[in-house]
Amino acid sequence: MDILSTEHLKIGYEEKIIVHDLNIQIQSGKITTIIGPNGCGKSTLLKTLARIHKAKEGFVYLEGEQIHKIPTKKIAQRMAVLPQSPEAPSGLTIFDLASYGRSPHQKGFARLTEKDKEVINWALDVTGLTELKNQEVDTLSGGQRQRAWIAMAIAQETNLLLLDEPTTYLDMAHQLEVLQLLKKLNEEEGRTIVMVIHDLNHAARFSDHMIAMKSGKLIKEGTAEEVMTEEVLKEVFQIDAVVVKDPRTNKPACLSYELLKNQEKKELILAK
Amino acid sequence: MKINTKQRKLVKILSIMVLLVILLLLISLNLGVVKISPMNVFQTLIGNGTPKDQFVLLELRLPRMVLAILIGAGLAVSGSILQAISKNDLAEPGIIGINAGAGFAVVLFIFTFQGTMTGLSALGIWLLPIFAFLGALTAAALIYILAWKKGINPIRLVLVGIGVNSGFGAAITIMQIKMNPQDFMKAAVWLSGDIWGTNWNFVIAILPWFILLIPYAIWKSHTLNILSLGDQLAIGLGTSVERERLKVLLVAVAIAGFCVAAGGGISFLGLVAPHIARKIMGPKHQLILPVAAIIGSFILLLSDAIGQNLLSPTQISVGIVVAIISAPYFIYLLMKTN
Amino acid sequence: MREGNAILVSRHLDTKNENNKGRKLVRNSSLLVISIILLILFIGMSISVGAANIKLSTVWKAVFQFNPNIQAHQIIQEIRLPRTLGAALVGAALAVSGAILQGITRNPLASPSILGVSDGAAFALVICLVYIPTATMAEQSVASFIGAGIATAIIFGISALAKGGVSPAKLALAGVAISSLFRSITTAIALHYQVAENMSFWYAGGLSKVNWQGVSILSIVCVVGIVIATMLAKGITILSLGEEVSKGLGQNTFFVKTMAFIIVLLLTGAAVSVAGPIGFIGLVIPHITRFIVGSDYRWIIPASALLGAILLVLSDSVARLVNAPFETPVGAITAIIGVPFFLYLARGEGSRR
Repeated sequence: MDILSTEHLKIGYEEKIIVHDLNIQIQSGKITTIIGPNGCGKSTLLKTLARIHKAKEGFVYLEGEQIHKIPTKKIAQRMAVLPQSPEAPSGLTIFDLASYGRSPHQKGFARLTEKDKEVINWALDVTGLTELKNQEVDTLSGGQRQRAWIAMAIAQETNLLLLDEPTTYLDMAHQLEVLQLLKKLNEEEGRTIVMVIHDLNHAARFSDHMIAMKSGKLIKEGTAEEVMTEEVLKEVFQIDAVVVKDPRTNKPACLSYELLKNQEKKELILAK
Repeated sequence: MKINTKQRKLVKILSIMVLLVILLLLISLNLGVVKISPMNVFQTLIGNGTPKDQFVLLELRLPRMVLAILIGAGLAVSGSILQAISKNDLAEPGIIGINAGAGFAVVLFIFTFQGTMTGLSALGIWLLPIFAFLGALTAAALIYILAWKKGINPIRLVLVGIGVNSGFGAAITIMQIKMNPQDFMKAAVWLSGDIWGTNWNFVIAILPWFILLIPYAIWKSHTLNILSLGDQLAIGLGTSVERERLKVLLVAVAIAGFCVAAGGGISFLGLVAPHIARKIMGPKHQLILPVAAIIGSFILLLSDAIGQNLLSPTQISVGIVVAIISAPYFIYLLMKTN
Repeated sequence: MREGNAILVSRHLDTKNENNKGRKLVRNSSLLVISIILLILFIGMSISVGAANIKLSTVWKAVFQFNPNIQAHQIIQEIRLPRTLGAALVGAALAVSGAILQGITRNPLASPSILGVSDGAAFALVICLVYIPTATMAEQSVASFIGAGIATAIIFGISALAKGGVSPAKLALAGVAISSLFRSITTAIALHYQVAENMSFWYAGGLSKVNWQGVSILSIVCVVGIVIATMLAKGITILSLGEEVSKGLGQNTFFVKTMAFIIVLLLTGAAVSVAGPIGFIGLVIPHITRFIVGSDYRWIIPASALLGAILLVLSDSVARLVNAPFETPVGAITAIIGVPFFLYLARGEGSRR
């Protein structure tokens, strides 16, 4: 079943429309990535899927129900969201941050129950942060910090996890660290992951399903082999790319690229 | 586990602060025009004191001190809440104009109904805090409405607050000009922060509000924690952000309003106390609020003691002392935070 | 074919730029000329209205064919002329101070009153008046300069030393703290020496006690200040683009900032010593000016001076008339204009993040 889907989704800010008439389906149990150039609407789309941003027209369905009809706390028990560049108040420990993930299951003064503590410790274990749990989040490295936020999202105990550019400000090693953690969560626990990501090669390597957007429209969706092609990249990113097969992962990878010459750009526009 | 360590630290800090407060009370009772030594304080409390000591302690000093403790705690809690919801460490009811709104309402009340500020009628004592609350509420509503642009942005909130502060300040000045000189002086003193209602009736009029609101604020600690993460994360965690923010904002505003009713315009306390509390206890509000409250009480008692005794027989308004102590610290904080 | 197009396009842009520059020059110069004319007109009008209305022709004669025996001439020369000239000069001084502060701190909310400079000046002045009651106007002005200087130093210090730079919001908050601090101490002293009532009125800003002495000091300071500011204007324009950009362009930022600092303290100090701390002129006028003449400070400074003068002359007239024969503090009038304006700016500021 599609865990998330949209129908004629139109999203914008004030007067500006960013996404026009989008229909996509996110399959349960898979990793889906959304790629596209700056300003194509991918972050806005993710926020709308997460009900953080309200659509102008159209619907978002969470497990078949219209998302705006579900109480927000119930949504949070089924879907976790990690926005771009999250900030934790200084002095917060990893344990405390992860504990905030229990919020959708808590009431009132929100004392931690035994079950809560169990889930938190388990989330810290899965993200490999158990030893650091009393350390403050702002003293961590980029990769560790991102894992701490993922621990918080996991502690929500949801099947669905949405992440907006989880690797963007991290160095190469930490990027891989985070992506491999997400892959583990998907493979070992069957969680559905939806993420917006900039690095095409990472997207191709880790996705089951890719969605390529440009100017608020869906250009191509499918497997990495279907989306990571020279034609699609030309259309979406206006680049002349060389796509090869990564010998280690057997997934498509963009080896190098050039900017399209003006002539080719014009042809592209005319062809549309 | 870390949690218990934090709880133990909380108890430790609270105990130290309570002791300091008691110490300060005893010291300041021993200063001033009528000195009551600690021994006599004890005697008086158990009913064995001289009639003079009894009168001064029980009828004059004690209500004043109780008020100082309440106001200090209240402003600290109000400031903590405002800082959490505006995601801005530099917000507090004085700076963003809530105190000014309450102040304007009080001056208006006195000018229209009471005629003079020399004494409050029995009805006045009950009505004044309500007026102050309404004034604070008006200011908060103005700030909220004016800062609203498809949601509340923390920076905008504070800046609009500064504007509203100026606005009410100007309005108060105009009202002041229209008063007769005596009232004007009294108003000026009160506006700069003055614990004026020093009798038990006043305390009784104010106390229930504080007993209600401050524990409720502490009850809402978890909500404050989540709101501090920012709107997007808070929504993702299932919080009805607008509704919860409004709730705690109302609490902060109400507390601030009653503080102004009891003590005039005291600025910066609601900023400095939460800061110190946060430094000691970390960012969780379950720990910040109680500690900030007692630090606030301590600072206010201290400022009052200084204000009453430093340039005796002139009294320096408590608000002025607080400002003089806190403003440099505030500037230092500004330079250090990001 | 493409190259030909490119050349045509670039030539077209060049001529467009030239046209724009020419248009700008014409527009800005005419603004200045119109402002000067308006200013003189408003000064004349302001002098002629009041508790006793005086005809404009009489005003003219009073200035140029002064006859000490005619009472109207006396009123004009002794009371109204200094007052209105004072208003014009104070308005100019505050507006230029505000423009400089906004440029140097890159903060659209900066102004002498918001950043506490006016309160610093007031603080020093009150101390001077209380402890040296016989101080001459010149000495009072010096005290005012010192006070303004301390506050300005704190502001510049914070801008320079704060970790991660200073956002407009942070600087505004710093200003609130500084003005609050100075105001509290000033109030404490005033209450102690029982001059609070007089002081409160003065604190709200008023031109009712302006005399020729004040005006002369003020005019010297204003002329010097505004002239130097205009000479400094290019540096300020570049500095308003950013510290690093400015250094990259080879600016001696330290020199520019120090000179700006001195000018602000002189202008604000003089203004406050004559008329008390009047708020919002330094905030509102630079914005209006920038809206009309653009972001080149060589235009902004003189235009602000003129517009500031006009605004305060008008506000002072309103202040005198609205509750005649009682004086309303002009600060209340400027607040009526300034607070909504500030709120409008504040709304915009938050969303620019």
